[in-house]
Amino acid sequence: MNASRDIAESARTPIGVRAAQSRLHLGWLSSSKGLGILFLLPAVVLVVLFFLMPVALTGVFAFTNMTTATGITGGAYQVSPGTLRVLTDRYGMGELAERLGQPTYVVDEQGLAALEEKGIDKNIIDSLRDGLLGKTYASRRELERDIRGLPDRPNTRTVKSISEEFSRSLANARFSSRESLIAAAEAIDPDLTDEEKEALAASTYTGWTWTTENFRRLASSPTTRQVLFNTLFFVAMTLVIFNTGYAMVLAIATHYIPDRPAGIFRIIWFLPRISPVVIYVLLWKWLAWDTGFLSAFLSNFGVRPRNWMLDTATNAWFFVIVINGFVGASMGMVIFASAIKAIPESLFHAASVDGAYRWQQIRHIILPQLKWPILFVTCYQTLSLLTSIDQTLLATNGGPGGATEVWSLWIYHTALNNYAGNLQYGMGAAMALVLVVIGIVLSLIYLRLFNYNALVAKPRIEL
Amino acid sequence: MIGHLRTWPIVLALTIVSAPLVLMYVFLFVDTISNAPAGSFIPNEFTLEHWSFLWETRPGRPSIWRVTLNSFLFATSTAALVLVISSMAGYVLSRLNVPGRTYFLAGVMVLHAFPAITLIVAIFLVLQVVGLYNTLIGVILVKAAIDMPLGIWLMKGFYDTVPWEIEMAGIQDGASRFTVWRKLVLPQVKPGIFALGLFAFLLGWGEFILPQVLAPSGNAQVLSVYLAGLIADDNNFDMNMFKSVGLFYMMPVLILFFVFQNRLMNIYGGGSKG
Repeated sequence: MNASRDIAESARTPIGVRAAQSRLHLGWLSSSKGLGILFLLPAVVLVVLFFLMPVALTGVFAFTNMTTATGITGGAYQVSPGTLRVLTDRYGMGELAERLGQPTYVVDEQGLAALEEKGIDKNIIDSLRDGLLGKTYASRRELERDIRGLPDRPNTRTVKSISEEFSRSLANARFSSRESLIAAAEAIDPDLTDEEKEALAASTYTGWTWTTENFRRLASSPTTRQVLFNTLFFVAMTLVIFNTGYAMVLAIATHYIPDRPAGIFRIIWFLPRISPVVIYVLLWKWLAWDTGFLSAFLSNFGVRPRNWMLDTATNAWFFVIVINGFVGASMGMVIFASAIKAIPESLFHAASVDGAYRWQQIRHIILPQLKWPILFVTCYQTLSLLTSIDQTLLATNGGPGGATEVWSLWIYHTALNNYAGNLQYGMGAAMALVLVVIGIVLSLIYLRLFNYNALVAKPRIEL
Repeated sequence: MIGHLRTWPIVLALTIVSAPLVLMYVFLFVDTISNAPAGSFIPNEFTLEHWSFLWETRPGRPSIWRVTLNSFLFATSTAALVLVISSMAGYVLSRLNVPGRTYFLAGVMVLHAFPAITLIVAIFLVLQVVGLYNTLIGVILVKAAIDMPLGIWLMKGFYDTVPWEIEMAGIQDGASRFTVWRKLVLPQVKPGIFALGLFAFLLGWGEFILPQVLAPSGNAQVLSVYLAGLIADDNNFDMNMFKSVGLFYMMPVLILFFVFQNRLMNIYGGGSKG
């Protein structure tokens, strides 16, 4: 309404003047380029933040050993019996580990300064400096004996509090930076070689580091082969049986029956797609659980009640494929049905007059018309099945015993949620990277399937 | 068109294969308001006890109303974001002369098919670092970004059907391209905007894996995660209660779908036809 009034008003002033004015006022808003860039901006920002950056980061994380234990933002240097064992086993520096691990007492300026702060008698400190500075003791007892031997003879409590300040053990110490770790180690052993420093820092670092280990593990693990096989089996079966095969049956069958029942069946087969996935899978659980419909129904025939979904691997696969397939069938159904609808009815009439059977009509009229829609659905659904996770996660969660673990679910269990609690982000990113690469390749193929040039008509207003 | 061919065998066959679905959805209703004796399915009493979750908050779980509000906020915010962004970007791709337009359209199509769920590990880590983990805002942004390529794609299709003459008339009368879009073109694609908004709302309402990973607990929990948590809790297995929560959760979907069935069917077919 507003629009037409504006046009009516503007018609009273000469076109040229108005156009010049508005261009003056609004500047870039009136040019196609300026407005276009402004309008694309939010979309571009989201694409960069939530597609490009995650793709790049997946690639980066895949080359780290990031886990819950290492944290995401970096770590500290923690000396523990474990890290000293690493020093012994991996770097063959058992001697160094022993030296660093043992409690050691060093009389140094740092300790003396601490004593001063503690308020220890100045004379004692001076005699400590004169007599013992630079000495190293393997045990507290030896140090305390020497302190007692000093001219001032401090009492036992003072001796204890003095010796405490010279304890230079690395065991169970935590350092926030490499420098402070090395400094502390040098206090115990001033002759550390660079190689030893390197090994010490590497073995005590708690943060993540760069590595190609993820891919090596992925390539050599037998689980990889099993999961890969599961994934291909799942995608192929669901795609062929339901997403294209059964979808086509539905589309053709509903084409041959009157509109009313056809509409009802379409709605029924749409229910899995519109239902929130949690409810949809819940209904299947109700059907298959040991207290559910199947068990109770079959108990009338003397069959022992059981959890039909998780009973055996075969059953689990059956349900995983059916649950996913019933959702996927509706997309193919809609696309195929509209392609069939586009076939001129005269073709069917002609075929009927010629006495063609329904099978012959399907074979010679419908199927040739569906070539491109089938290709489209196959390509699109391969991609979404490869990464489908919701239904399988909620139904079997990969069970029983990992039988239905598919690739995307494996990522979820590795990096985002597992019983052990130590989430391996780096490993999960490496697994995801495999899918990302497959995803990019398949979606480029998908792009080729469209008649792309017809989609981008040239703008007809050059402004 | 069918002439001498009979239809009842087809109807019969379809009825048989559709039976499990019908059975499941019928019992979704029946079981929420009735009890059946053990080992049977024929209800023998009417009851409302399964709906007690509406007024009794279970220990250790958030109130159902809080969770419902979260779901509503999540779905409406993602729908609004998707609508605003794609009605702008879709117009550019359909109409405006911008450098790199064809590449952007190709990019949108690739993203439309690209499985964003593979990026969830990286997104999870980023949200943790920037402090948006376990917040509604974080998961809303992610969901809107994932739905956006489809939205742009659909809106471009809707804009493509608007006759150029309308815009040309507007330009002739001295309106800027922005004014033309705002006052002349947008009203033309109102049905498309409505359908896309509805669709995006339903997508958000049903979403499970993103909130499950990015905002699983606390004040940001949504209905799907809440219900999945109930079902996963082995200590309180009560199928009828699950179904009641499920029906409560699904009610808006059913209502919207049956009222706007025709508009939605097209979009659910993959959105290739605008």
